[in-house]
Amino acid sequence: MHERLSFHIKRDSVIHRLNPLTKLVLILALILIAFTFPWYWAPHFLLLLAIIPLGILGRVFPEFFKTATRLILPAASFLFLMQAFFQPIGEDVIFKFYFLDITQESLMFAFRNAMRVFVMVSAFTLFLLTTHPSELMSDLTRRGLPPQFAYVIISTLQILPQMQAKAQTIIAAQRSRGLDTESTFLKRAGSVLPLVGPLVFGSLVEVEERAIAIEARGFTSKNVKTSLYEIPDPSFDKFIRWSLLGLVILSIAANLWPS
Amino acid sequence: MAFVNLQNVTYQYPLTKTPALQNINLQVDEGEFVAVVGPNGAGKSTLCYALAGFVPHFFKGEISGTIEVAGKESSKSTLDEWVLNVGLAFQNPFNQISGAKYTVFEEIAFGLENIGVPREEMKSRVEDAMALTGIRDLADRSPYSLSGGQQQRVALTSILVMRPRLLVLDEPTSQMDPIGTREVFGTIRKMAEDGMTVVLVEHKMEWIAQFADRVVALKDGSILLEGKPGEVLTSDLLAENGFGSSRYTSTAREAKKRGLWRKENLPVTLDEAVEGFALTLPFSSPKGAPRGRGESGK
Ligand SMILES: Nc1ncnc2c1ncn2[C@@H]1O[C@H](COP(=O)(O)OP(=O)(O)O)[C@@H](O)[C@H]1O
Ligand SMILES: [Mg+2]
Repeated sequence: MHERLSFHIKRDSVIHRLNPLTKLVLILALILIAFTFPWYWAPHFLLLLAIIPLGILGRVFPEFFKTATRLILPAASFLFLMQAFFQPIGEDVIFKFYFLDITQESLMFAFRNAMRVFVMVSAFTLFLLTTHPSELMSDLTRRGLPPQFAYVIISTLQILPQMQAKAQTIIAAQRSRGLDTESTFLKRAGSVLPLVGPLVFGSLVEVEERAIAIEARGFTSKNVKTSLYEIPDPSFDKFIRWSLLGLVILSIAANLWPS
Repeated sequence: MAFVNLQNVTYQYPLTKTPALQNINLQVDEGEFVAVVGPNGAGKSTLCYALAGFVPHFFKGEISGTIEVAGKESSKSTLDEWVLNVGLAFQNPFNQISGAKYTVFEEIAFGLENIGVPREEMKSRVEDAMALTGIRDLADRSPYSLSGGQQQRVALTSILVMRPRLLVLDEPTSQMDPIGTREVFGTIRKMAEDGMTVVLVEHKMEWIAQFADRVVALKDGSILLEGKPGEVLTSDLLAENGFGSSRYTSTAREAKKRGLWRKENLPVTLDEAVEGFALTLPFSSPKGAPRGRGESGK
């Protein structure tokens, strides 16, 4: 079974030590600025001067680089190609491929959008790499997020791999009783039906038992909850958050400014 | 008055035709360790739910009679107050993992966070509870990466750490090996000696005989027999009603038919069996006999 069910990498760094909310605000600010600041090179600039340095400061650059090259880069490249070819803007055709034209404008447009998406996904990746989900939820719960909401998010994150493993077990069990899961699509679609029963019914019973188990551990207690982890929120963090908010407002204002 | 007091409790799940509990009268003193036995469907789990407040606060349905623990009445309480006094751990350990925590330490602290125990106290209580059940070395593991038996220990620890006055356990050792079972029974016994009241559903008769103060035998939702473990677990009434018995009891019962068991009472444990057979079998030597192999449960 999976020993590690989160992306989080336990290390000690300036970024790891930031309050989780600060990190959340930081990545949202980066994303908003990348999408709104009315300077063409803004997202490129952010990638070089914010995302990469943050990865290094957070001591997760190798992991970040792996995700970026294997996952984010292919996705962003795909987006770039689609937009470069299908964006019907500009006159100045610089490349022709059958009926598809690439113009200087569509190229520039696609490049910026791909970069924006790159920044967005990279920011989230950095966030996940440096933030422990439990700490994030404890912090947000302390700030007023309903605990049920936090519970649903975290348990879903954790349960998904479990569900997957269980589906595998059921498939193996049904297959050993002669279930066909490998021939044509239609046959297989029909043969998936017997899997639904155990998976859904099993899940309902499980949900009931799990509800009992967490209730038995005081989940609905009216006492004020405490947290195992102390999650510091020094005034430096508050200062960063307000500054970021200011930057985002400036960026949006600049975007809306009639030029 | 008894610490746990059930008076004429009858309960029927919604959409069912027969009651799962029928006219149950049961009293348990503080610090007493009571084991509940019975065939499948006898109502053992339902009894646990009734003690822990989930019947009727979670499972709806029809209930009559009164359930009292520590002088409070269940029907006049809310579930979140009730669970502060009564802890419940049940059979399937996988479904007892909260799913909200990444390590065993965090998992055990979950209940204490919920009821608002201050951080420092929380940490020391989690440490103590883990030491008690022998799972200190699992503290940093993911609860999902553990074996069934280890998960059962975590589930038990997660309830013990909340220090309930009544501990209700529904087959808590079903996935443990004999050594694990013995350790857990030892822990539960110790908790009872320290004043915790324990109601435990269990199939492993030998362990019940060694550790419990009293046995309640349930069948079809009613109490069939109740009393000292040695008497209840060897009674013919239980054997006739499809209750399992320990292998030593079964063997001695057969032996008795053939005149090879001379003692009045049948044995439940290995030691009792050895002692009894020593009287009839000339070649046996109770002192030097090799031991240990047959000590498993069931
Ligand atoms: N959630 C439920 N809804 C309806 N009937 C139930 C439910 N749980 C148990 N029962 C029924 O109640 C009876 C007692 O079950 P249970 O207490 O689980 O027995 P045991 O734990 O001794 O095996 C059984 O007939 C069972 O079918
Ligand atoms: Mg049961």
